[in-house]
Amino acid sequence: MLAYVIRRILMTVPIVLGILLITFVLFSYVAPDPAFTVAGRGKKPAQLRAIRKEMGLDKPVWLDSRAKAEQDGREYKGHFNSQFFDVVLWRFPESIKYHQPVGELIARKAPVSLAVQLPIFLIELGLQLILALICAFNRGRWPDLVVTFGAVLGMCVPYLSIIILGQSVLGFGAGIFPVAGWDTGLKSVHFMALPILVGVAAGLGGGVRFYRTVMLDEVYTDYVRTARAKGVSRNNMMLTHVLRNVFIPVVTQTVTVLPYLLLGSLLLERMFQIPGLGGLMVEALFNNDRPILLAMTYGISIAYCVMLMLTDIAYTLVDPRVRLS
Amino acid sequence: MSSAATPAAVDTVMGAVALSERPRSLWRDAMARLHTRKLNYVYASVLAIYALVAIIAFTPLLGKSVFDAQVGAQYAPPAFTGTVEQGTANEHSTIRPSLWLGTDIAGRSVLYKLLYGTRVALTVSLLASILSVVIGTVLGLLAGYYRGWVDALITWLYTTINSIPWILLMVALAYALKDREFKMFGQEFKLVGIPSIVMALGLTSWVGLCRLMRGEVLKHRERDYVAAAKAVGAGTSRIIFRHILPNTFHLVIIDFTLGIVSFVQAEVILSFLGLGVKDQPSWGVMIDDAKLELMRNVWWQFAGATAAIFGLSICLNFLGDALRDALDPRLRGVD
Repeated sequence: MLAYVIRRILMTVPIVLGILLITFVLFSYVAPDPAFTVAGRGKKPAQLRAIRKEMGLDKPVWLDSRAKAEQDGREYKGHFNSQFFDVVLWRFPESIKYHQPVGELIARKAPVSLAVQLPIFLIELGLQLILALICAFNRGRWPDLVVTFGAVLGMCVPYLSIIILGQSVLGFGAGIFPVAGWDTGLKSVHFMALPILVGVAAGLGGGVRFYRTVMLDEVYTDYVRTARAKGVSRNNMMLTHVLRNVFIPVVTQTVTVLPYLLLGSLLLERMFQIPGLGGLMVEALFNNDRPILLAMTYGISIAYCVMLMLTDIAYTLVDPRVRLS
Repeated sequence: MSSAATPAAVDTVMGAVALSERPRSLWRDAMARLHTRKLNYVYASVLAIYALVAIIAFTPLLGKSVFDAQVGAQYAPPAFTGTVEQGTANEHSTIRPSLWLGTDIAGRSVLYKLLYGTRVALTVSLLASILSVVIGTVLGLLAGYYRGWVDALITWLYTTINSIPWILLMVALAYALKDREFKMFGQEFKLVGIPSIVMALGLTSWVGLCRLMRGEVLKHRERDYVAAAKAVGAGTSRIIFRHILPNTFHLVIIDFTLGIVSFVQAEVILSFLGLGVKDQPSWGVMIDDAKLELMRNVWWQFAGATAAIFGLSICLNFLGDALRDALDPRLRGVD
């Protein structure tokens, strides 16, 4: 057990390095020069240099050395005073738009995203499991056909269309909910209702089909046949035997969704003016706010990676078969 | 697996034994299965119509002068609703096809924009799908066949990419590639609009197929037909691409079909984030433009673009599912 846990943690190291490498190369070599995007066209070289210095882009890309620092006329602060290690060690410059440290900004926005996305996630998961169970119960009969057909229809409508429609029909047209906005503390519940409703409606389809397949896979296993032969009733079999075993793939699926919870839906938060991480990212895209984009891509990916690792370890506690394979 | 042996080879081996019918290959079998459900023909013909519209949009019939021309008043409602504003220029011209679906904020025909958008949507999604399928297939084949350090490297690459939430990576890449100029081999390349979107989508979406291919190839390389091919002296590339690839090609086809659906939907997201196509109408841009129109009761641009995406997605989804059922023998009889 301990050996497995150690091996799994060690496996994460090259992946984290890979994430670091991909995001860093993407933003330092492929993306446009942030000094230009901040300053706009027609800036003088001295101003560009000042902006680069402020963003820490005057430093060498990978590693610093005393000779290099003297050549550039910088103060030498050790080998790791480079752009790459600024990212590694989470030394991001301030956000261009907010003039606040990126870490602080993310920490402040994350709970807002979570407040909207967690209810969406829980309601959605509950509904998806119930609908999938209905399908598996009535396989091939009309409730199954109606639900699977509806799920496919729902998946084919663009996410943005559902948000726009929900916002203008339920929020603007019927006036049941506020169209957009946010408030502090508990007062924000008022603003949360519509985004949650729309978010659930938009994401329902895909999961239903997935969980239906998972449940049907489970229905044709030997232990179910044995239980049926022993005389366990259909309902009892479905609700206790099958549902319990289905939770393993459900947990896997759930973990892959977690980073999106934190990130919020980019579209949802932007459309409903929710001040969460998704909205922050969209804003950063429009403002060319490189520190935020880099920090979010890097930070959320690492968080996701760690979550995947923890799930795998949690599995071995639940299901010893995983360890063997 | 009969596809490795050609019918001619079978004839010579069998000598005098005449085969009464052509061998049932996986593909003939799959076509027969698709044929039994007549609805598949409906999906296929709808897709053919989309393709036809996209091809027409490449001709001057639907060029810039057509979709960019002002054809009526601002926000003229669709002709079929029968509400033509009195006293406007288009009072007597409701039969003009350009006004069938109304006009947008600049008085341009929504119908023409929609038709031209088919070209953008299909170009983006087909190219992105080809790109991701090629990367996924080649890397999957190499990893599965060579194993060892090649496999370790490719597995590391796709695990890493898989550990970055797709939407983040895709958006970051689209942002990095937007309006970029590159100097390569003494030539300058400028990535504007469609090429940068295609790269952002294609370069981030090959992981699923690569993983599937690798797993499948790992099994196939131990099969007798590969050993037989080696025994007759076939080279490695011949074994990989002429023997193993055809036997795993159903995975490629299914991924390709369903990939198009997700790319059409992703184009909408990119347009919303200001990373989409420019200077030409696309479905994503139309929906994005319509986000405030709906509150002014201007629903036609929104409805048109949504319906276009819906129609394409639903046909591809159903056809993709049918293909999967027909091509993947393991799924037969399960569901």
